[in-house]
Amino acid sequence: MKSNHLNVPKMFRIGIILFLFVMTGIAICGQILIHEEKDNKINDLLDRGSYLTSLIALHPTKDLQGRKQDFFLRTLSEYTTYEGFVYCFIHDQSGHSFVSLAPNKLASQIPLDVQRASLQAMGLSKRTFQLNGTQNTIYEFAKPIFESGQKTGTVRLGFKLPQVSIFSFERIRFLAMIALFIFAVVLFFYYGIKLTLQPLKKISEDLQYTCNGSGLVNAQSSSTNGVAFMVKDLGQSLSQIKEKLVKIEADNMKLVSKLGVTAFEKKQIAAILDCINLGIIIVDIHDDVSHVNDYMLKLLKKSYAEAIGCPLTEFLNHDDIQAFISKQEDGMSYRSGEYIETTFPKHAPADTFSVSFSELKETESGLVGKMILIRKITNEKLAEEARKDFIAHIAHEFKTPLTSIKSYSEMLMDGEVNDIELKKEFYNTINTEADRLASLIQNLLSISRIEMGNLSINKSLVKTESLVGDSLAAIETAAQTKHIVIEKNLPDNFFSIVGDKELLKVALINVLSNAVKYTQDHGNITLSLFEQDDFIVFNIIDSGCGISQDDLPRIFEKSFRSSDPLVIKKPGSGLGLALTSEIIQLHGGEIEVESELGEGTRFLIKLPKEEYYIGKQ
Amino acid sequence: MGNNKKVLVVDDEAHIRRVIEVKLKKHGYQVITAINGKEGLNLIITQKPDVVISDIMMPEMDGEALCKKTNSLKKERSFLTIILTCRISSDEESWTADMQDTLFIEKPFSPSMLVECIDQYFGGSSK
Repeated sequence: MKSNHLNVPKMFRIGIILFLFVMTGIAICGQILIHEEKDNKINDLLDRGSYLTSLIALHPTKDLQGRKQDFFLRTLSEYTTYEGFVYCFIHDQSGHSFVSLAPNKLASQIPLDVQRASLQAMGLSKRTFQLNGTQNTIYEFAKPIFESGQKTGTVRLGFKLPQVSIFSFERIRFLAMIALFIFAVVLFFYYGIKLTLQPLKKISEDLQYTCNGSGLVNAQSSSTNGVAFMVKDLGQSLSQIKEKLVKIEADNMKLVSKLGVTAFEKKQIAAILDCINLGIIIVDIHDDVSHVNDYMLKLLKKSYAEAIGCPLTEFLNHDDIQAFISKQEDGMSYRSGEYIETTFPKHAPADTFSVSFSELKETESGLVGKMILIRKITNEKLAEEARKDFIAHIAHEFKTPLTSIKSYSEMLMDGEVNDIELKKEFYNTINTEADRLASLIQNLLSISRIEMGNLSINKSLVKTESLVGDSLAAIETAAQTKHIVIEKNLPDNFFSIVGDKELLKVALINVLSNAVKYTQDHGNITLSLFEQDDFIVFNIIDSGCGISQDDLPRIFEKSFRSSDPLVIKKPGSGLGLALTSEIIQLHGGEIEVESELGEGTRFLIKLPKEEYYIGKQ
Repeated sequence: MGNNKKVLVVDDEAHIRRVIEVKLKKHGYQVITAINGKEGLNLIITQKPDVVISDIMMPEMDGEALCKKTNSLKKERSFLTIILTCRISSDEESWTADMQDTLFIEKPFSPSMLVECIDQYFGGSSK
């Protein structure tokens, strides 16, 4: 804290300065006064000399020589009381002085040329000279005396300039007044300036305080309160501030530039986030929403403006998610990658979402916010459920024939089946179920290979005659058991197709065995083969139980089985038609189905034909 | 032996129904069959079997639904329910905790073991 009181050396300096000011003022005023007085005295001397000389010269010489001489001299003496009066000589016509009012030996000190010139003058004349042997300057006035037009004499008066003294009482008094005035003026100006500069000083101090406080500049306050120091400090501060301002301006430009880049990047990031097919909510450390992407806004049917700044709990209004985030935040249970599955019943009642949460951290600032990711997993859930259902279905499909084989064979081995017919039935069942198991495995493997994309199709020229023959042979026993008649409308010249014979055989057998399976005893099946446009068409018609219109669109789905009791009675994996459809598509063909419940079913398998065909063999 | 106890076999698979039927008949049980849970439920109410052997996966009404629906009937008349399961997951049987006189037999099962379970049930109940 700086003292506002003046200290002694400073007072002394101010006193010295004031004194010098006053003395200089006095000296200047004194010099002016002396010079002026000197001029006045010279003028006065000249006026007085001229007047007195002219006055004396008006008198006739006889008045100055006769009985009036005493009166004249007395009168003259009164005039010559003037302090500058030096001498008075009155000469007659011959140049002899008959009146001489002068100190002794003075006449000899007056230069002769001056005396001569004065005596010869015909009018009033003035001359200055220095007395011989002295430094005194004498002003001599001379005027001839005329009487009746005749020069009768000459009057000569000598004056010296009176001494001008600075130390006269009046002058000292005057100078003292001047000094007092100057002192007062200087004091007035000093305190006036000081008062005027007070705000400036305050500004300077504030500036330095601000500078020191903010660390903007390395301002160091002077310990002296002088105006000069203050101005110096102020100047330094201003200079440093100016430098800093330049730097700040440069930094500001960089920041503005960075801000521009950041704003651009932010827009880009926002655009990227908007393209992501996930709900993204970013909140700050106060859990207020700072960004939401389009997906989330659409899901919650809210606008960006009403989302920003809104507390997360209010924005989501979802107890499950809030509970999950709170649990994650308690620090004990937070694990990256954890998520919950939930729904938004108000906004998307049919969908399931996974919600995960992660903390947003920066190296320098630490935790800066949180990000909540909301992903629609409806399809995954459905797929997962479908996968589980499929596995359950397949396990069931495997275990069912296995159960038959195991239980039937156990009973046979235990000797519990003695009746020949029953024995035959049991062996037949074991055989059928073993075939069913083999077929199931074959279908599963084929489907798996197709789905994994590594099914290699061994394409070759396939004779449809052979394909049809092999396929019919595979179902012949089953058809005969049920006394089903198979009608064949085959062309004389069999067509050939390009494809994988084994896979095509699987496809055809699946359709034919379904026809046998779902056709009642003594029913009939028709297999036709013909050419239609660019396709070879296999037309399989059965007189079976048919497929309901509800089930028709789903029969090619993997593991789909109709709920129709007539269908349920028959063993089936629900894989056959799915596999057939896949195989036909792999060959660039089409499979179509038409059916009426209780009337029968018609399958059309269309395969691209080749340019040539092989004749009937 | 079965003492002419009535056993209901509920399964959509004809071969399974058949083998159980043959086995149980050989052991003195009277056997009736149904192809799904719905048909089975009707027979339980009307025929009042002493034992119900049911598959889990069936159309119309599955074994779980049948078991749950008939559990309340056991307060008036107790009967044994045997569920034939493929045991796909470990928690598959969790719902049976509240079921009375219910036991699981995993497929593929042994017909002899099945009969043994039923005999044991009746042997125990006669004591």
